[in-house]
Amino acid sequence: MMHISDGVLPLSVTLGGYAVSAGLAAWSARRIHSRDLPKVAVVTSAFFVASLVHIPFGPTSAHLLLPGLAGALLGPAAFLSIGLGLLLQSILFQFGGITALGANAVMMGVPAVICGWFFQHFKGRTIARQAVTGGLAGALGTVLSAVFLAGLLMTGGEDFFGVAKIALIAHVPVIVIEGVVSGFTIGFLARVKPALLLPVRSFHD
Amino acid sequence: MTDVHHIQVPLWYLPLLVLIPAVVAAGVVPWLSRQARARVVPEKDPDWSIPPLTDSRGQGISLIHRWDVRCKIVTMLAYSFAIASLSHLSAAVAALCVSLVVLLTSKVSFHKVMLRIFALGGFLGMLVVVMPLTVPANPGDTLLVFGSLDWLEVNLRGVILAATIAAKAMAIALLMEPLLSTAPLPVTLHGLSRLGVPDMAGQMVLLSYRYLHVFTHEARRMTAGMKARGFEKKTSLDTLRALGNFLGMIFVRSFERTERVFDAMQARGYKGRFPDPGRLQIQWRDILLTGVWIAAGTALVWFDWVKG
Repeated sequence: MMHISDGVLPLSVTLGGYAVSAGLAAWSARRIHSRDLPKVAVVTSAFFVASLVHIPFGPTSAHLLLPGLAGALLGPAAFLSIGLGLLLQSILFQFGGITALGANAVMMGVPAVICGWFFQHFKGRTIARQAVTGGLAGALGTVLSAVFLAGLLMTGGEDFFGVAKIALIAHVPVIVIEGVVSGFTIGFLARVKPALLLPVRSFHD
Repeated sequence: MTDVHHIQVPLWYLPLLVLIPAVVAAGVVPWLSRQARARVVPEKDPDWSIPPLTDSRGQGISLIHRWDVRCKIVTMLAYSFAIASLSHLSAAVAALCVSLVVLLTSKVSFHKVMLRIFALGGFLGMLVVVMPLTVPANPGDTLLVFGSLDWLEVNLRGVILAATIAAKAMAIALLMEPLLSTAPLPVTLHGLSRLGVPDMAGQMVLLSYRYLHVFTHEARRMTAGMKARGFEKKTSLDTLRALGNFLGMIFVRSFERTERVFDAMQARGYKGRFPDPGRLQIQWRDILLTGVWIAAGTALVWFDWVKG
């Protein structure tokens, strides 16, 4: 649902998405030590597995998008991680088209980096506050991604406004679930392994 | 061309139009999902992530398998973008037919192709349902109105638009399996790096692809443990808390594992790159196939353009 498939976006938007996300990926890669890139790859697979977990919601279920959590845990490296995750989802499962990959990466990756900044800026010291901030970051990540999704769909012209509106509405329950689960996850990490929530390096020995 | 045409349709058409797709979906979706679940762990499929130990040319069982990876990647990506830019239903359907022909000649696993089409279903299904109802009525459009239900207007232009998008998405999705699984993943990534993509990008794809399976196993073990302790998924705060902790545990373990993985890589002499999985060589028939393909893509775009 959250991934735009092939053939929806205009050609200029798909190519522009690739250009923007290549630039952001290069920026993201420069923010960490090149030695740490293989580690980002391994962590990406954990996020990938986590995003496949289905959360029951009434009669249906939703799966998490996790841009907020990725941002909180990885900081600027989150863009790289999310781009990689989306590439894998596209080539393995066809979730999100290969031509729309750039646009999808911008849609999920930019919110992740913003949420990472938000979390580090407001997390405070206590476990409770970290959990609440984490929850807010998780919800914010989904809100931003949904807004980006709607904006991208609307580049297709007036015909796509209705679809964009429906996509926004469909994300409301996901926003709540994502926020609550992210809050619990951050709370768990704050108790169990607070080093992962430090601003710059969770990677250092 | 100035006015919106209204076609009055008797009311009883509506249940018919809803019922037929519903019946078809009720039949096809369970079958597809059973097919999808039948082999969650592919046993007989060759493992994609392992580089070929013998000569990579040895496994050429189709034209696409023998095609040089670099030509294959460039051609298929350019062709995909060309398809994505089409704007008429007839051109999109023609592209779908081309993809079907390629699929038949490339001898890839039919099962995996079905899984891809199935994965597209959610997004495309939404478009097909939403677009006919929400596309604004422009001059020259034809609206279907069911009996006295004048609030329910089905815009035929929306139906065609959604069908075009669905055809384009499927045409590209059908090509993904011939593009990716006709060579082992390391060979494809090697081709990419020879085309100028940074080496590290390919390595990261390989590593995360490899650890995907490790973490899937881990997540499955943890789920089994949770079930053994009586955990049941419900719509409740407790479920969300348990799942939040579950995710937290996956992250703790993954971050710890990254250190061990990296140490092990360094112990085996990792210096920032993996060994090349073999030599690539472009022959005249690679170029020929690329030329034919590009010509087909150009013809499609031209056909689309001629139609206005």
